[in-house]
Amino acid sequence: MVLDPAVELRNVTTIYSGENRPAIRNISLEINAGDYVLVTGPNGSGKTTLLETILGILKPVSGIVKVFGHDMVRSPYKARMMCSYLPQDFMKKPDEPFKVREIVAMGLASKRALGRLSRDDWKRVDEVLKLLGIDKLSDRPIGRLSGGQQQKVFLARALSRDPKLLLLDEPFSSLDDDSRRFVADLLYKLNRKGMTIVLVSHAPPKIAGLTMRVRLVDGCIAGVERCSS
Amino acid sequence: MFLLTVLSASIIAGSLCGISGVLIARLRLSTLVFAIAHAALFGAAIGLFLNIDPLYTAMMLAILSSVIIGPLSDATGVPSDTLAMVMFSTYNALTFIFIFLSPGPTLAAEKVGGILWGSILAVTRTYLAVLVILAYLYALVLALLWNRFQSILFDRRLAEAEGVNTRLYVYLLTILSGVAISVSLKIVGGFLVFSLLYIPAACGFTAENIKRMILLSALIGGTSGSAGVILSFILNLPVGACIVVTATVIFIAVSIYAYIKRKQKTVF
Repeated sequence: MVLDPAVELRNVTTIYSGENRPAIRNISLEINAGDYVLVTGPNGSGKTTLLETILGILKPVSGIVKVFGHDMVRSPYKARMMCSYLPQDFMKKPDEPFKVREIVAMGLASKRALGRLSRDDWKRVDEVLKLLGIDKLSDRPIGRLSGGQQQKVFLARALSRDPKLLLLDEPFSSLDDDSRRFVADLLYKLNRKGMTIVLVSHAPPKIAGLTMRVRLVDGCIAGVERCSS
Repeated sequence: MFLLTVLSASIIAGSLCGISGVLIARLRLSTLVFAIAHAALFGAAIGLFLNIDPLYTAMMLAILSSVIIGPLSDATGVPSDTLAMVMFSTYNALTFIFIFLSPGPTLAAEKVGGILWGSILAVTRTYLAVLVILAYLYALVLALLWNRFQSILFDRRLAEAEGVNTRLYVYLLTILSGVAISVSLKIVGGFLVFSLLYIPAACGFTAENIKRMILLSALIGGTSGSAGVILSFILNLPVGACIVVTATVIFIAVSIYAYIKRKQKTVF
């Protein structure tokens, strides 16, 4: 049996509405299940657009996008259930009323019928909060937390879903050095357990276990390098 | 018995508007709902013209508008906010045309006044029964799908990325708001129904979490409704205006309280 690749992009071009210039142009890329991919490139090179096109949040004007064999333009919802996404623009305003534990639970709830969580699901939420060292912040409104703490909350939300494909947009941007090392180590372990990870960063710390590096420049792939473990 | 019917109706309609106001404001759908409110007004004018109960035609037009704005925006490429303003202007014009064409002396009729600035006389037992059923359905949908709605209210884009069909749920919330607006038209009137959506919601936003925001907004909507009706009876003034003035007084009181509380927190 031949397994579908985790991500398959064929000649994909995405243009933001009202723009003439494509944000990503003619991208073809195949990411296998179990890969750990780092996407780098300068600001405005199309890294975030690439992630959001993979998820089907942005619709390409041409080309084919598939995640685990699902066409992300025509039927994105089934594949998205298997994915988690950590957005770059995660910061919430100080008056945001939702609390940390509720926010992490939302990630898991979107995989459940009618969004209802079982006792085991709540246990999972608490475990992930503990894993990231933010269990003491459970009852705090997210708007009152620092940037680094908020980023950890969104990472906890992504991990609570136990995704097959984890898409991370600048996951180290607000973290201090210790937290960066901890998160990098955690991602390495999750990848070793089989999780496919696509990580976007313009200035990544030292990351162990990468299987592929992709460099974007001006919306085009400037280089793909397979890394040996 | 009549006063009890009117009071019950005003409490339910006020609470529904209060709940809808918080949901709409969180989702930044104000312009969209503004158009839907005027669609309901246009529907009521059609009801007047055809000499049938404006409640049903208002509800039909409100629901129809809730359903078509999104797909129409996708099909034409015009942003939904802009499209909503186009629809709002069109509905306004059509409302006046149908009121003008309705049987009886224009703008002098009790019925016309009823849909523009609300009327206690329009509240019947049948209307109350419809209101109770709709409020029950509204609460049921909200309770059943709360976890889905909550995720969208927090971060719609992230919910979409996680596999929630946010467009479907937002349509559903828009339809529910359309229904709440339609049923409130009879009491508050088309000119003021928007105030009953937003004034309680503005009070609700002083609460610390989303559930309390919704509950506070519903409570203030219901209180404004009932107190406004009593005020209208005592002073013999239009009921819609009395409800909105009451809501505004409550809003001022809540704002002062929130200001003092914030100051105390800063000092200590």
